[in-house]
Amino acid sequence: MSELKNLKEEWKAVFSCMSCGDCGFAIRPAVGRYLTCPVKEAKGDEGFEIYFSRGRMNILKSILEGQIPLSKELAEFVYQCSECGNCTEVCHMSQNEYIVLNTSKWIDHVKVWEALRKDLVEAGFAPLDRHGKLIDYMKDDNMRNPYGEEEAKKFEWVSEFPEIKEKGELMFFGGCTMPLRQVDTLKSMMKILKAAGKDIAMSKDEWCCGSIALRIGDERSVIDIIKHNIEIFKNMGAKTIFTACAGCYRTWKKDYPELLGEELPFEVKHITEILVDMLNNNEIPFKSVEGSEIVTWHDPCHLGRHMNLYEIPRAALLKIPGLELKEMKRNRNNAWCCGAGGGVKSEFPDLALNISKERIKEAVDTGAQILTTSCPFCIGNLSDAYKEMELDVQEKITVIDIIDLIASKI
Amino acid sequence: MFYKILRGLTKLSEVYKKLEEIVKEKYISNSIYVRHAYSRNVDPVLQGVPDIVIRPKDAQEISEILKIANIENIPVTPRGGGICEFGGSKPIGDGGIILDMKRMNKIINLDEDNLIVTVEAGISWGKLNEYLCHYGLYTGCMGPGSGMSAAVGGSISHHSVGGGGCAKYGACTNQLVSLEVVLPTGDIIETGSQANKYSKFPFNRFGNGPDLAGLFCGDNGIFGVKTNVSLQMFPRPPFAAYKTFQLPRKERVISAKIMNEIRQKGIDVYDVMYIMDLIVRIGCEQGMFPFWENLKKKRGVIFYTIEANSEKELDEKVKQIDEIMINNKTEELGSEISDGNIAKWHYTEQGHWQFYHNLWGMSPCMEPLTAECFSSIDSYPEILNDIDQWDMEHNEDMQKILSITKSRPIAGSGPILLIDGNNVEITCGFTSFGSYFDGVNHEILKEIDLKLWKSLLERVTKSGVQWYMMGDFMSRLMVDIGAYTPEYYNFMTSIKQVLDPKMILSRGKFNFWGK
Repeated sequence: MSELKNLKEEWKAVFSCMSCGDCGFAIRPAVGRYLTCPVKEAKGDEGFEIYFSRGRMNILKSILEGQIPLSKELAEFVYQCSECGNCTEVCHMSQNEYIVLNTSKWIDHVKVWEALRKDLVEAGFAPLDRHGKLIDYMKDDNMRNPYGEEEAKKFEWVSEFPEIKEKGELMFFGGCTMPLRQVDTLKSMMKILKAAGKDIAMSKDEWCCGSIALRIGDERSVIDIIKHNIEIFKNMGAKTIFTACAGCYRTWKKDYPELLGEELPFEVKHITEILVDMLNNNEIPFKSVEGSEIVTWHDPCHLGRHMNLYEIPRAALLKIPGLELKEMKRNRNNAWCCGAGGGVKSEFPDLALNISKERIKEAVDTGAQILTTSCPFCIGNLSDAYKEMELDVQEKITVIDIIDLIASKI
Repeated sequence: MFYKILRGLTKLSEVYKKLEEIVKEKYISNSIYVRHAYSRNVDPVLQGVPDIVIRPKDAQEISEILKIANIENIPVTPRGGGICEFGGSKPIGDGGIILDMKRMNKIINLDEDNLIVTVEAGISWGKLNEYLCHYGLYTGCMGPGSGMSAAVGGSISHHSVGGGGCAKYGACTNQLVSLEVVLPTGDIIETGSQANKYSKFPFNRFGNGPDLAGLFCGDNGIFGVKTNVSLQMFPRPPFAAYKTFQLPRKERVISAKIMNEIRQKGIDVYDVMYIMDLIVRIGCEQGMFPFWENLKKKRGVIFYTIEANSEKELDEKVKQIDEIMINNKTEELGSEISDGNIAKWHYTEQGHWQFYHNLWGMSPCMEPLTAECFSSIDSYPEILNDIDQWDMEHNEDMQKILSITKSRPIAGSGPILLIDGNNVEITCGFTSFGSYFDGVNHEILKEIDLKLWKSLLERVTKSGVQWYMMGDFMSRLMVDIGAYTPEYYNFMTSIKQVLDPKMILSRGKFNFWGK
């Protein structure tokens, strides 16, 4: 039997949940809140309470009290969660700085779910099949990515850009998803950087950041990866490293220091922070445009709720000529997740797609012609959902990474 | 240790198969994990693990489920939002069927001409009012303080108040027009105007004989399962004013005097709430109310909200009520939320659905052991004083809890809310801790909690209050301490026996256990 080591550390959060159920049902238009849990809503009529936080907290109370055990059956339920953190937002949701809900001080749902996942892994009930393969690929010396591709393939795109240096103060961490699945976006990024005259460096020794394993709960597989990645960039003289992946960004900026118990020897930035600086300094030479298009921004959970990076991407969008930003009904901390995170996309792809379809419909409702974001997981899942949607939806809107959007206007 | 896994019915059982045939596989579960997800409500000590959880789609399915439950003698507990603070929406003891009514959450009809909306009973007040606001309408009483999650059906079962608008509109049952109810034996009825089979749409609750809808209002789920609810709606007035005042000394008596004067002068007020000094003081100490931290004296506050159809009407009402406030030596706080005007947050930011959450979880794992009652305005200062007295008398037990948790439970009341008539709502009890604390199961905590909870609620009952949301705990306590007159309890029992001869529905509430 599992010792529940990780879950026991979260006992305050678990037993501070008072089962109000707002994590399942909250609608509070005055503060822009329209429902909470993308998984529960995607389950629709089958949305038993085990699919949202209150039910899960009740189960954890029973587990900690020794009434019921961990099991594979539990794992099948638990991993149907994108760890988007929207339940935490609701739980902390006075949404007014002058009124504080004290639960906000000791309930962090994502931390609880991650603790549970760690215990499930340690007890041998997880990872689930597909997740296990991703982690194996990630640890494989010939791959070092969760896609099961040869390691060298991740860096093939770099050969097209001899201007990328091997050492430098501003270093790019490529991650896995973009180089292996959305390489055109990386080429767009290089187009922007080149046009702005910005030098970057990168290493071909970087490994997967480990986000996948962390989200699944296999912390042990990640420690060596973290040390390796930090060492590589430290030795290359990095003062700032940036990434175009929201998952890598959260992992580098939040998880690495927490797991190591120390600050990183360099600053970590997301691509939108780099872009907004360039836009503010008028370093990007845009084509002249006539007329304007309406764009709406999807907040990736790993940028927004997990890292509080809401305004910088919007500031960037507002600086792009020919665009008018229109917010979706649910935005910023109330934003609806795309459904890909937390391992949902890989293990429960239909669930992930259903969640994304909901988000695309919401984007269409704004009247926007462009749905943009800055996370390869969101882009991948939204694009997959988009392809399955009716033609009239596809005629109304396109899904595009903010990098490609900017590059298209140079 | 895991004996509960062995309990209940397996998928192979005949009963499960029959139920599955009714609702289809996707909407029924006997997974141990699903069952535990539905085993608790808000309080930290009561638990009941069902054998089966079902998400029915309509009255017909519920009728068929209840018929099987009667044949097999299986208790059935309806569960709406599941936010009862005293065990009302989980089984009493382990076993039985939970009906998760939240699948039934649709708006069936909006009758704009007659200002009546018909909804499935599992819809939340938040969802319903979000829909109505597009038509310039609202439900008046906005349901309970947990209205973002609470189901309309559950609220009708409890005369819910607390989510705003109760001084003007009263409890939500005041707005009830018609109910569709599945009786415990499976018959489906409609009440009010719909008792006449020739009536095309619901328009009035009263008539066609006795007000049998009233039988199901505040029944705590024992007389039938509400499936459709028709409610009156109201145009939302375009003007509103909201002000917060700090009370002078003797705040309990003064706040009651203010509420009485508002009623005696017939001022049409939307909300009035008194938040006692204990909440203000501890809330500030715990960092919950940054906007009150600069108050020199941490006395209680009182706020009002007034709605009107014109500026002139609003000004006149504000003038009248401000005069009462001034005469009672209150001090007005500034007009903005940042100035401490909690009334503005309550009304403009829909804080009315969240205010009570503030008072839960003040310390980690600290949860309420309370109950909710009505009393006359005149009575509440004395009731609050008596709760203080009770707290002192039980200091020894409180200290035992403190010795384990390092925090002393706090007895008292949440905000006192003016409701219809010359009445207020009191959510009273004490906050405490469940048995699991710091990695250890302290069964002693649960024992003390239950003892103190019972003791306090018995004490408050004997002050003559009227409990409206009673759940597992309070419904049985009323019977256990002999608070009902024998004649009234016999009357209630007779009705229960006629409607539910096997005591299937919400078995155990009011000690209706069956054989």
